[in-house]
Amino acid sequence: MFYRETGQFKTSYAADMQIFPIRQDRIALWVLLAVAFIGIPLLNAFHIWPFGNEYMLRAILIPFLILSLAAIGLNILTGYCGQLSLGSGAFMAIGAYSAYKFGTGVHIPFGLFDLSIPPLPMLPSILLGALMSAVVGILFGIPSLRIKGLYLAVATLAAQFFFDWVFIRVKWFTNYNSSGSVSAPDLNFFGFVVNAPIERYLLCLIFVAIFALLAKNLVRGNIGRQWMATRDMDIAAELMGIRPLYAKLSAFAISSFIMGVAGALWAFVYLGAWEPLAFSIDRSFQILFMVIIGGLGSILGSFLGAAFILVLPILLDQVPHALGVPISVETVSLLVFIVTGALICWLLIVEPRGFARLWSTGKEKLRLWPYPY
Amino acid sequence: MRAPDGPPVTAGDVLLSIDNVSLSFGGVKAVSGVSFDIRKGEIRAIIGPNGAGKTSMLNIINGFYHPQEGVITFKGEARARMRPHDAADGGIARTFQNVALFRGMTALDNIMAGRTLKMRRNMFWQMLRIGPALAEEVEHRHRVEEIIDFLKIQEIRRTPVSRLPYGLQKRVELGRALAMEPELLLLDEPMAGMNIEEKEDMSRFILDVNDHYGTTIALIEHDMGVVMDLSDRVVVLDHGIKIADGTPNEVKSNQAVIDAYLGVAH
Amino acid sequence: MIAFGQFLEVLVSGLLAGVLYSLVALGFVLIFKASGVFNFAQGAMVLLAGLALVRSLDFMVAKGLPFWAAIVIALLFAAVVMAITAWMVERFVLGPLINQDGLTLFMSTIGVTFMIEGGAQMLFGSDVYPLRLFPSDAWFLFEGSFPGGILVSKIDVWGGLIAAVLVVGLALFFQKTKTGRALRAVADDHAAAQSVGISLNWIWFIVWLVAGLVALVAATVWGTKLGVQFSITFLALKALPVLIIGGFTSVPGAIVGGLIVGAGEKLAEAYLGPFIGGGIEYWFAYVLALVVLMARPQGLFGERIIERI
Repeated sequence: MFYRETGQFKTSYAADMQIFPIRQDRIALWVLLAVAFIGIPLLNAFHIWPFGNEYMLRAILIPFLILSLAAIGLNILTGYCGQLSLGSGAFMAIGAYSAYKFGTGVHIPFGLFDLSIPPLPMLPSILLGALMSAVVGILFGIPSLRIKGLYLAVATLAAQFFFDWVFIRVKWFTNYNSSGSVSAPDLNFFGFVVNAPIERYLLCLIFVAIFALLAKNLVRGNIGRQWMATRDMDIAAELMGIRPLYAKLSAFAISSFIMGVAGALWAFVYLGAWEPLAFSIDRSFQILFMVIIGGLGSILGSFLGAAFILVLPILLDQVPHALGVPISVETVSLLVFIVTGALICWLLIVEPRGFARLWSTGKEKLRLWPYPY
Repeated sequence: MRAPDGPPVTAGDVLLSIDNVSLSFGGVKAVSGVSFDIRKGEIRAIIGPNGAGKTSMLNIINGFYHPQEGVITFKGEARARMRPHDAADGGIARTFQNVALFRGMTALDNIMAGRTLKMRRNMFWQMLRIGPALAEEVEHRHRVEEIIDFLKIQEIRRTPVSRLPYGLQKRVELGRALAMEPELLLLDEPMAGMNIEEKEDMSRFILDVNDHYGTTIALIEHDMGVVMDLSDRVVVLDHGIKIADGTPNEVKSNQAVIDAYLGVAH
Repeated sequence: MIAFGQFLEVLVSGLLAGVLYSLVALGFVLIFKASGVFNFAQGAMVLLAGLALVRSLDFMVAKGLPFWAAIVIALLFAAVVMAITAWMVERFVLGPLINQDGLTLFMSTIGVTFMIEGGAQMLFGSDVYPLRLFPSDAWFLFEGSFPGGILVSKIDVWGGLIAAVLVVGLALFFQKTKTGRALRAVADDHAAAQSVGISLNWIWFIVWLVAGLVALVAATVWGTKLGVQFSITFLALKALPVLIIGGFTSVPGAIVGGLIVGAGEKLAEAYLGPFIGGGIEYWFAYVLALVVLMARPQGLFGERIIERI
């Protein structure tokens, strides 16, 4: 009833090309942002449920935001450009470890001349770390010019296993820490040290909001159309003048950059101290599932998928407790396996394009409601 | 961006010439020793029975296949081995026998994708989508809307192309090719699988494109009525060999052509 | 002479370890050949088959059955479990996904992987279970030629023999039987195969069943060597580079690919490891696959793909 675009006329193409051409959607977005940026901190400050305690922020919101960002990164590569990647964890790890090195000072003994960079402030460290990830992303994207689909997936697995190994074996990356575990430097942003959970949450929120907007702009612009064209029919795209080299490698670069940022945030803001295991192949699959379940080729879907994959184990853990059925921790983790797997299959059967497609179908129905068409 | 090198070709001159071109896959000869030319501003039909090498010919023209022998001269320059996107750069656009639209995108995005080569703003600007980048999007959207009006597909611009009926898909594909503002437009069976009405529409679009934009068109078509009505000159291939070349009337009365189509007792 | 003896020993143990990769890769190839589905769940199926086998075997031995009878019954039980799995996968996942594109099917098999991994451990337990089907000691060969001889473990040799029998059997099945022909027809074109009256559901059940039995065979060898445990699924990931090197559709490719990967990573570990740090085995196979891909995108034995438009 209230969800109508009738009477909202566009007088310019710019207005027609907004992210949300329908006014109600725009209002909803602003409300959501207001809740995220103002509402949740207020609730937290006054200790009001459900955001009064740290648990909600630490265990749900912060990982949700960071993994959403990683999912956006993978979605650009797999969902928009059609290049299947099983190496997301590696690119997150490169972002995290490079940011760590830049944050604690880089020293490369070349023998004759030493390369030394003093410890950089936090923001440049994270961005430079992400840049490293982008560079490696381009390198591992080169095979995509010759190989497609599942073959490429195995190529990205090479990145995953190789960098797992590098960060375990090459002590230089962990500053020769004997345990192999690494602690993040202070989260100092222009003199302001981010520490309390709510500050960490806001930091992630800012990063995610900015990168989500930039990513959305890219995918609806010229480069985004090139990615999608390459995904849908690469030969026709090339015959129209789209260079596969540029389209694919730019997708690899942007995607790994975003995943690098997500990796740095995951390590610095969420974990604080971490081991290479934090970015293992399990992480890669987790993010791939978020993208599949949320919806390939949808920025919104990345958020929906991340929310779902993250909340599912928590729900599975809580529900039996609430019902009074005793279940061991191990059984829960196995149940999570089974349910996640079943849901993936179920979702692929009912809607291969994921939650995002269900969402937009729902919106279309709502626009026409109460008429069927 | 159009025709970056070489002098502009005026109407009636040779735009593209094919000299003694041969192509084979392994041992199979797809095209052997074919020569013909396409003149600026004309509609040139390529006809022949199934397997005559027509599509291979188009694939050679826009650089998807590389002939083992022969010379292709486009706008007065002999062409070396090239990538398909170089052909697109030079002003050659095409449609495909089996519709090759970008299935996950809307009709509007498909046609906008045809503007890729004309858009100059780099990724950084696109990311911010302000000022020059936004202005560029809007400018190209204007051009695309003109094409959408021309092809009368306004009401489906937001529809994902995979949901469109075949006839409309063919039309969107033509729109996408037109968005490239090509000098030479290659149409591979633009009317295959269409009913009479759709064929008439499509014929009119082809004539209009040729008329309004002065675009040179090379088309493959099986419907002889359409070919005879539309084209200025016809080249006939059979088993990869050119068997006739001339105006529709000349070709129609050519004995070799009649034999190729009706079969002849050996 | 010592150096050469050592080289031979590493090479032989690598080749025989490679046979194990081949066994898993074979399952992938079978399903891919016959249904165009890239079955990510093959590793999970090895785990399931192994758990079903070892747990039922232990159970019956504890009940006092003679060992040979227990083995036969346990093998049958595990085979039935694999058949039920194949039926369920076909009925509830692949059946409804008929005519979807390859990527969707691939992702659905990742879902299947999770279900099998969770289900198998929930039903049969998630510890490490030792399996004793083959002798696990070793031979010392050529003691005359090399000091100390070359150490060859018997279980690896058994694995090699079993793989050989399996390959011959599968080749006969594909080439000589009616079902085999139908399988190859389905692989070429789903829709065309359906139109000549081949039931896709039946074929997919058969092919998953065969892959399940191959997984069972792999599980007997792997289980004896390493014990049946969850980490088997990770080792099974190594079958992916094997496939890349051998080509997705080639049975001999799977075997040769496995041998190359097995020998390659053992040699690399032995001769390169000291220089760039140990644990190369962890990624060597993948990087090798990457190099092969750059040179030959369709794998060593894959069919060349001709692009048309």
